[in-house]
Amino acid sequence: MGNLLVNTRDQQFLLFEQFGIEKVFDSEAYGGFSKDDVLMILSEAEKMAVNDVFPTLKEGDEEGCHFKDGKVTVPKCFREPFKKYSEAGWINPMDSPDVGGQGLPHTAGYAVSELFCAANYAFMMYPGLTHGAANLINVYGNEQQKKKYMEKCFSGEWTGTMCLTEPGAGSDVGALKTTAKRLPDGKFLITGTKCFISAGDHDLTPNIIHPVLARIEGDPAGTKGISIFIVPKIRVNDDGSLGEPNDVKCGGIEHKMGIKASATATLNFGEDGKCIGELLGEERAGIKIMFQMMNEARLGVGMQGVALGSAAFQHAVAYAKERIQGTPVWEMKNPAAKAVTIINHPDVRKKLMWMKAHVEGIRALAYFGAYCMDMSKISKTEVEKGNWEGYLELLTPIIKSYSTDKGLLICSLAMDVYGGYGYCSEYPVEQLMRDEKIACIYEGTNGIQALDFVGRKLGQRKGANVMNMAGLVQQTVAKYKNNPELGKAAATLEEAANACFEVAMFFAAAGKGGDFIAPIYNAGKYLDMFGDMVLGYLLLDAAGIAQAKLNAMYEEKGLTTIGKQKGLQRENQDAAYYAGKIASAKFFMNEAVSTVKARAEAVKANDKSAMELVDLAFTV
Amino acid sequence: MNIIACVKQVPDTEAQIKVKADGSGIEEGQIKWVMNPYDEFGVEEALKLKEKNGGDVTIVCVGPARAMETIRTALAMGADKGVHICDPAFDNADAFVVANALAAAIKALPHDIIFCGQRAIDDDSGQVGAMLAEALNLPQLTLVTKLEFAGSSVKVIRPIEGAQLSIETALPAVVTCQKGLNEPRYASLPGIMKAKKKPVDVKNAAAIGVATDAKARVAKTVPPPARPPGKIICGDEPAQKAAELGKLLREEAKAI
Repeated sequence: MGNLLVNTRDQQFLLFEQFGIEKVFDSEAYGGFSKDDVLMILSEAEKMAVNDVFPTLKEGDEEGCHFKDGKVTVPKCFREPFKKYSEAGWINPMDSPDVGGQGLPHTAGYAVSELFCAANYAFMMYPGLTHGAANLINVYGNEQQKKKYMEKCFSGEWTGTMCLTEPGAGSDVGALKTTAKRLPDGKFLITGTKCFISAGDHDLTPNIIHPVLARIEGDPAGTKGISIFIVPKIRVNDDGSLGEPNDVKCGGIEHKMGIKASATATLNFGEDGKCIGELLGEERAGIKIMFQMMNEARLGVGMQGVALGSAAFQHAVAYAKERIQGTPVWEMKNPAAKAVTIINHPDVRKKLMWMKAHVEGIRALAYFGAYCMDMSKISKTEVEKGNWEGYLELLTPIIKSYSTDKGLLICSLAMDVYGGYGYCSEYPVEQLMRDEKIACIYEGTNGIQALDFVGRKLGQRKGANVMNMAGLVQQTVAKYKNNPELGKAAATLEEAANACFEVAMFFAAAGKGGDFIAPIYNAGKYLDMFGDMVLGYLLLDAAGIAQAKLNAMYEEKGLTTIGKQKGLQRENQDAAYYAGKIASAKFFMNEAVSTVKARAEAVKANDKSAMELVDLAFTV
Repeated sequence: MNIIACVKQVPDTEAQIKVKADGSGIEEGQIKWVMNPYDEFGVEEALKLKEKNGGDVTIVCVGPARAMETIRTALAMGADKGVHICDPAFDNADAFVVANALAAAIKALPHDIIFCGQRAIDDDSGQVGAMLAEALNLPQLTLVTKLEFAGSSVKVIRPIEGAQLSIETALPAVVTCQKGLNEPRYASLPGIMKAKKKPVDVKNAAAIGVATDAKARVAKTVPPPARPPGKIICGDEPAQKAAELGKLLREEAKAI
């Protein structure tokens, strides 16, 4: 067994066997890479994640962040790894070499990211937000802004944040109250309070660059009147040196259930009327611009679900293979039976299988999102490009919310495998579970994601994205429908896919008939069903590839009996891996996808009990 | 300054080693290969020396085609170029053949200082560095944990039982590196990309002109004997259990 964070064999399978990212290496955009390069990059990332970042997980959680005399301190153990991480170029591997990146394909970049996120997500908040902020300036900033702010963020000399939320404007961002007043030199005076700002204040770097949403005086109410500004914590002189403090004051930090080492700050801009911001991009384009960072952040949060789920699963498997407790159920009449490792108990074993199938599924989903970015980048026609971007648009809310909901369940099951010890801080799973929960909430709650999915994404491009997705699923179903081993799984997937598309039609019809509540009321449930279906597709596709490779191995070695084939799986890692991949698909289809149809029927029954109830009746 | 670092590719310390059924060696198919950890100290020291005093670092490696990956790792860490001595004739090479091959390759290169790991973690023989120094007729500084460069000489610290030796020698010299010398860096992402363009000279036995006949031959590879199960001393009285333990230590384990 490899590290306790991520199954690197599964990562390599996705990159090189399922998605085949070698095909993007032939393109102009990614011509500089080979498989060997990507393997070396992953190996170096794994080393640093395991040896330098993972050891900060517990210490960072215990020390946490502190707010004293207006200043925020982060765990001391973060300093050295943050420096090493930045210096090694891990903040922006996927960006263009023009801005100090390496132009790494996104699919490989996401694999790198998973390794670090699994090691310590709270740590990764700092470089993650820094990248998002710097990349906003990269895309929308002018040359001077790039030189002044972006370069130092990409290099990790400074960090960045994203300042949207206000005490009265969270999910409803259009209600924000922060204002921007024009100054004669074209800059703006910023006044307002932002809260829940991750990495909002800290002592890791001497400066912090805040992209801040605010309304220029006189601009209309709602989201259409919002602009975005670059607001540094310390003003930056034209020669790049640090100037005066910019009247950005930290009012305090939150005391949270998890990611305690990530400083979640309340920031007061312009308390003394001296906070200066520079407009980023055009006036009143703030939401559109910020959406670039929000989409990036949503995929990043999806990765939090994948990575923490993965770490919890890897730990649980290792523990279940070591921990001896209880005699096997088939020995229950034998008083002399010896206790066995708990992986032998059917309940534990099935939980591990559930976790394995879901971890592999949400990993495949996240990497598929990245793969869509790569494929859109190398597309030769506008139609092709539009299709790949369409998949990503459609799947972004699923990647964010489905992966984090399942990630939390995976952590919870990992704790069940550990039993009482798992609930104690001596073992890491309780922290993984605490660190994971926020992923369901921030970056647009999972409820908001479901509304985005049902309200915007389903109908986008006149439903073309959904139709394309249906096409992919149908192709795979057709491929394996008559396969003796996978045929049943293919049939289950087909039934679920049909059920999902029927519900989409039901929503459309309900909307047309004036019943707007039906899609909104069922949005979360529908996203979950759709997620199960997409995972089923990805896992079946993987199982087919694994089956072909495994059969080739059996054939080469002349193994015709099940006993001999199992023998190979016991001693050969590849054979074991492929057999596991087939099992994941079959298990997942039977366990999760098979219920999609029943859930679809429930949606179509159009029960609205919760809506019909008067408030008082919820609890009298 | 011309700095040489010799590297060997070895199985990862966490790899599960399986002996081939016929005892002719180990199963290589499923092993993850890495740079010998002691050689990493050598590469790191070479890079530090270069950063401080200028010059360039050449990686020299004897090994099969897969060993190129290890050379690339060293180049990604910051070394400048590589020499890969690759020939099926070296498949059964012993320390003597490897040291002579390294010596032949290094003779053809300008060299002020040569770093080796103090041993390789696969066969643990610990002979190549010393033999290399002999073959090149250079002074050897072994098991080094600290190195100070002073122009045309180096001063090193080498631990011995209960004390440490401080040794000084003129360059060129061969230094074998021990844990504690430094903390090897990771390859950075830009380093990995730059390494692709760095030259590696691949040479066979004939090109460097060395004999490939080994002095030593591996007769058979066998796994270590399985450990006998531990013994649990039962009983209620601690004094009785202690007496039993003492008896077993004396009579069975013969430890006291």
